[in-house]
Amino acid sequence: MKYLLPIIALFALSACYEDTDVTIHEPGVYKGKPDSHVKSYEEREDILSTRFQQVQTDR
Amino acid sequence: MARMKFLCDAERCIECNACVTACKNEHEVPWGINRRRVVTIDDGHHGDEKSISVACMHCSDAPCQAVCPVDCFYTTPEGVVLHDKDICIGCGYCFYACPFGAPQYPQEGAFGARGKMDKCTFCAGGPEEDNSQAELDKYGRNRLAEGKLPLCAEMCSTKALLAGDGDIVADLFRNRVVRRGGRPDNWGWDTAYKEQL
Amino acid sequence: MKLTKRAAVSSHKSNGVNRRAFLKGSGIAAGGAAFLSVLPPAMMQKAEAAGEQRISYDDGEITTKRSVCTHCSVGCGVVAEVQNGVWTGQEPSFEHPFNLGSHCAKGASVREHGHGDKRLKYPLKKVNGKWQRISWEQAIEEVGDRMLSIREQSGPDSVYWLGSAKYSNEQSYLFRKFAALWGTNNVDHQARICHSTTVAGVANTWGYGAMTNSYNDIHNAKAIFIIGANPAEAHPVSLQHIFRGKERGAPLIVVDPRMTRTAAHADQFIRIRPGTDVPFVWGMLWHIFENGWEDKEFIRQRVYGMDEIRKEVAKWTPAEVERVTGAKEAEVYQAAKTMADHRPGTFVWCMGGTQHTIGNNNTRAYCIFQLALGNMGVSGGGTNIFRGHDNVQGATDFGVLSHSLPGYYGLTEGAWKHWARVWDVDYEWLKNRFDQKVYEPEAGLGEDGPTEAGKSPMYTNGIPVSRWIDGVLEDKENIAQNEIIRAMVLWGHAPNSQTRGPEMKAAMEKLDMLVIIDPYPTVSAVMNDRTDGVYLLPAATQFETYGSVTSSNRSVQWREQIIDPLFESLPDHTIMYKFAKKFGFAEALCKHIQVNGEEPLIEDITREYNRGMWTVGYTGQTPERMKRQLENLHTFDKTTLRAQGGPCDGEYYGLPWPCWGTGDMKHPGSPILYDTSVPVKDGGLPFRARFGVERDGVNLLAEDSFTEGSDIKDGYPEFTADMLKELGWWNELTAEEQKEAEGKNWKTDLSGGIQRVVINHGCAPYGNAKARAIVWQFPDPVPIHREPLYTNRRDLVEKYPTYEDRRSFYRLPTRYGSVQAKDFSQEFPLIMTSGRLVEYEGGGDETRSNPWLAELQQDMFIEIHPADANNADVKHGDQVWVDGPEGGSIKVMAFVTERVERGTVFMPFHFGGHYQGEVLRDKYPEGTDPHVLGESCNVVFTYGYDSVTMMQETKVSLCRVRAA
Ligand code: SF4
Repeated sequence: MKYLLPIIALFALSACYEDTDVTIHEPGVYKGKPDSHVKSYEEREDILSTRFQQVQTDR
Repeated sequence: MARMKFLCDAERCIECNACVTACKNEHEVPWGINRRRVVTIDDGHHGDEKSISVACMHCSDAPCQAVCPVDCFYTTPEGVVLHDKDICIGCGYCFYACPFGAPQYPQEGAFGARGKMDKCTFCAGGPEEDNSQAELDKYGRNRLAEGKLPLCAEMCSTKALLAGDGDIVADLFRNRVVRRGGRPDNWGWDTAYKEQL
Repeated sequence: MKLTKRAAVSSHKSNGVNRRAFLKGSGIAAGGAAFLSVLPPAMMQKAEAAGEQRISYDDGEITTKRSVCTHCSVGCGVVAEVQNGVWTGQEPSFEHPFNLGSHCAKGASVREHGHGDKRLKYPLKKVNGKWQRISWEQAIEEVGDRMLSIREQSGPDSVYWLGSAKYSNEQSYLFRKFAALWGTNNVDHQARICHSTTVAGVANTWGYGAMTNSYNDIHNAKAIFIIGANPAEAHPVSLQHIFRGKERGAPLIVVDPRMTRTAAHADQFIRIRPGTDVPFVWGMLWHIFENGWEDKEFIRQRVYGMDEIRKEVAKWTPAEVERVTGAKEAEVYQAAKTMADHRPGTFVWCMGGTQHTIGNNNTRAYCIFQLALGNMGVSGGGTNIFRGHDNVQGATDFGVLSHSLPGYYGLTEGAWKHWARVWDVDYEWLKNRFDQKVYEPEAGLGEDGPTEAGKSPMYTNGIPVSRWIDGVLEDKENIAQNEIIRAMVLWGHAPNSQTRGPEMKAAMEKLDMLVIIDPYPTVSAVMNDRTDGVYLLPAATQFETYGSVTSSNRSVQWREQIIDPLFESLPDHTIMYKFAKKFGFAEALCKHIQVNGEEPLIEDITREYNRGMWTVGYTGQTPERMKRQLENLHTFDKTTLRAQGGPCDGEYYGLPWPCWGTGDMKHPGSPILYDTSVPVKDGGLPFRARFGVERDGVNLLAEDSFTEGSDIKDGYPEFTADMLKELGWWNELTAEEQKEAEGKNWKTDLSGGIQRVVINHGCAPYGNAKARAIVWQFPDPVPIHREPLYTNRRDLVEKYPTYEDRRSFYRLPTRYGSVQAKDFSQEFPLIMTSGRLVEYEGGGDETRSNPWLAELQQDMFIEIHPADANNADVKHGDQVWVDGPEGGSIKVMAFVTERVERGTVFMPFHFGGHYQGEVLRDKYPEGTDPHVLGESCNVVFTYGYDSVTMMQETKVSLCRVRAA
């Protein structure tokens, strides 16, 4: 994204070229810190679905 | 694979704002910032008035993520859309992209430096060590890491707002709809998750 | 892309404006505004909300405490996490039978109480117009000395003790005892102005004036009828139970002058003109009788006087109902038919029914409707009266009232002797504590009929809270007591919840001394212009102490202490003890109660009332049983409330009163009142025999109806020792019990033996009678319609006039006809009514001081119909003046909406801190001003009191709106 716009702008300026496509923003690659968890994903899934049944259902 | 989702049952939402204050309580969100809020349409008209609780819907194909110029967004394996405040530049692009108006920009206070975007984290913190002080300061509590679900849904007065694994949430909601015999009133689900219930 | 846009587009009616549009600094509008950096109001106010401490994960080990929300009578369980004495987390109490983890905005924000930024931090007094910090010792000394000298000069009745529904049961009980030992009946609390007409009307119909079933039992309702109530805002978690009933197929009918947030979810919503409940209910009964839908067998067995009701109902033809209420025949018919077709149906009401000059007529009409359909004493049916404050039921039961003693014993000699025995104080000594003059008898009718002529003030009703201002302002000659009120103690009370604001201000200024005991300074501290003689004493909230609390469904729950009292605040019972010590009756107050330092032991207070509360069955709820239930919340069924297995097996949650006999008897509590299908020992009951056995030759006892397993297969009167002898049951008492029970009855036998034996025989201690459709000692034995004092329907005044003025009613002259005689309808054309918002409670001092709530509701407003707004040339969001017919004027924001009908305006009553256009923020002691201030609607609300209980009229008056 960061690079896309200037490139499009460059093209638009350098030649009389008309692009009929809509610019679609492509998600880039996450650049932040990694988010790690103590418990494995499967463990969490189990715990959280039990929790849902315990708390959010009409009992 | 479980994907965390919110669902607000408009038939049950009474606009009591428990979700809003539960969120404030859990994350000590400062005055002026609401990660969640309740919206009422056709206020005052019997038969038309409907309320829904809205926050970040943690979209399957998140528009905020798509437009971010610094790529600070990521989707966790549970399907929660989070971002790294350390690299967020507070440009506000995500606010325009979000169909739910979720991103907000505190100008000061507890959530880091001026202008960093703040939004609902599905009570899953952010890219810091789980339940660390840094995570708490920047993103609020991490309930998912504690084995709990978002407090707004856990405290909803009528159990209108549901939060959890999308399949389980959908099951419960479908049951309810069948029982009361009517059209499912689950605003926002298609937009956020690109699928029918 | 924003939700607001979408909402605005789909809102085809131009006035579908969101209430949150008033939200500054939050909500949709502000979301965008925040980005655009144009946030002036929010930023301005943010400064005040700052200063919140971030919590940390490293603050030590987490201990979990269980309490109960202090904001309404639903009684939602609260789970608090505490680290090093700091309340750092709040979790959903998902095992709790009432809320299953849920909360409303108020409950979800109770942890903020632990911050206490805006609390009153230490005792203060006003000196030359300035607040000055003083010590507790100095405060008690000065206030105490002043009171003692007033007592000396003018008698004990010149000090008014205004208590609170915010007390725990133990504190309520201790407070009533305290007032008795001081020697006055000038003691009261908010029940007077919330459900007093319910208590009087309902108790006089069938025995007890309380919610008959429970919130959870609404799951079983086949129809849900709500009139004059807005639980979506006032009791939000109750909606969870209502929706469960609704989703099981029960139609929801809401009758209200306003399209409330509850009405928004109704299958049928019917609008009526404020103050026309009796005609509406009779209108429904008209169809029921006309079509023969009534439950004839139920009426034959269990109801007295229905024929007289028929005669009154016959007058309410559909045409007349429409003329008076505005409801169309087809609507009324449909509602009546729905209720007849879906039995049992539940019937819910609140302040919309009670706060009227004819409030007692309204509540009785509701009861009669349920009796006619046979909806009483069954699961899914009942009169589910939602009480207001978290412990207003308990404070009522413990008699923080000017006309009764704990347990509704009344003020008779027998009642006083009973409590003197329980307290173990000498009756003659107690009598001498009171004014020794003989007061004028009550000319009007009290709840228990006329009081006898020329009685000691000990036996006459005190001045009720609704009228304390008249006790100060009236001429001495006009008041049936020795002297006017000279010192006022407002102990947990919001003055802005009471009508006639300008007169209240005058009364506050006339007093010798004004004492405010509260966690917050309250509007009392700022609404008057006194420069001296005001004391502010900081009380702790219920999260800073422990004890029991009674929710609306009569369940008694135990609260644990979450944190220590903040700052210099003290728990209420400690403050009571301090004053008692100063006055010299501490020993009498705590004769059988252990005192630690200056804090009476809560458990001992519980044990003491367990020994005396036989009438309502607060005898089986021992501290041990209540604490055990708290440990085992998960064992209780979420619909029946009964524990299945575990240590509490068979008990109902909260041991809902009556929980008969002593704790040893292990009565499970009575979850559904008057349910004859269950034995008394398991919580069943018939209607109470409270009104004699026959009247004019007609049998008042039940016929062929009795509780399951009863040895007496018919009606019977209440039990006495002599009756037991006649029945041959006397020998089933132990020798010790016999000694105590000799000459006593089920209410006064302190051994509990009579109750035990009677229940063993399957009988109810209080007898088995019919419910009364006519209450012969009330001003209107058959509930009839009377126009409000301030009515704009002058065409109806002649046919439905109000009462005549009374010379002495609760010690005060009370006006009715003379007020109604004057026509204000030209000058003040709009009907004015009031109600609640979900974020705030009562006078709002506590909730408006909580930033998480205050942010959501920042402006006092008036709801006005577009037509009326256009007539007044007022636009949405404009400031307007609202003028009342008694001279008050307030400046508020106009909220233009079709939620209200043309001709009617609505205002919430939680605001305070502005007075007739003036902002009083500077008058608060430093750092205690609530985040949000606003005009109190009660500055423009007017005179008018119920004819039995002195309930204030806040649901109908007149006003005028003009642009500011
Ligand atoms: S105010 Fe009432 S409904 Fe709301 S959380 Fe408290 S007890 Fe529950």
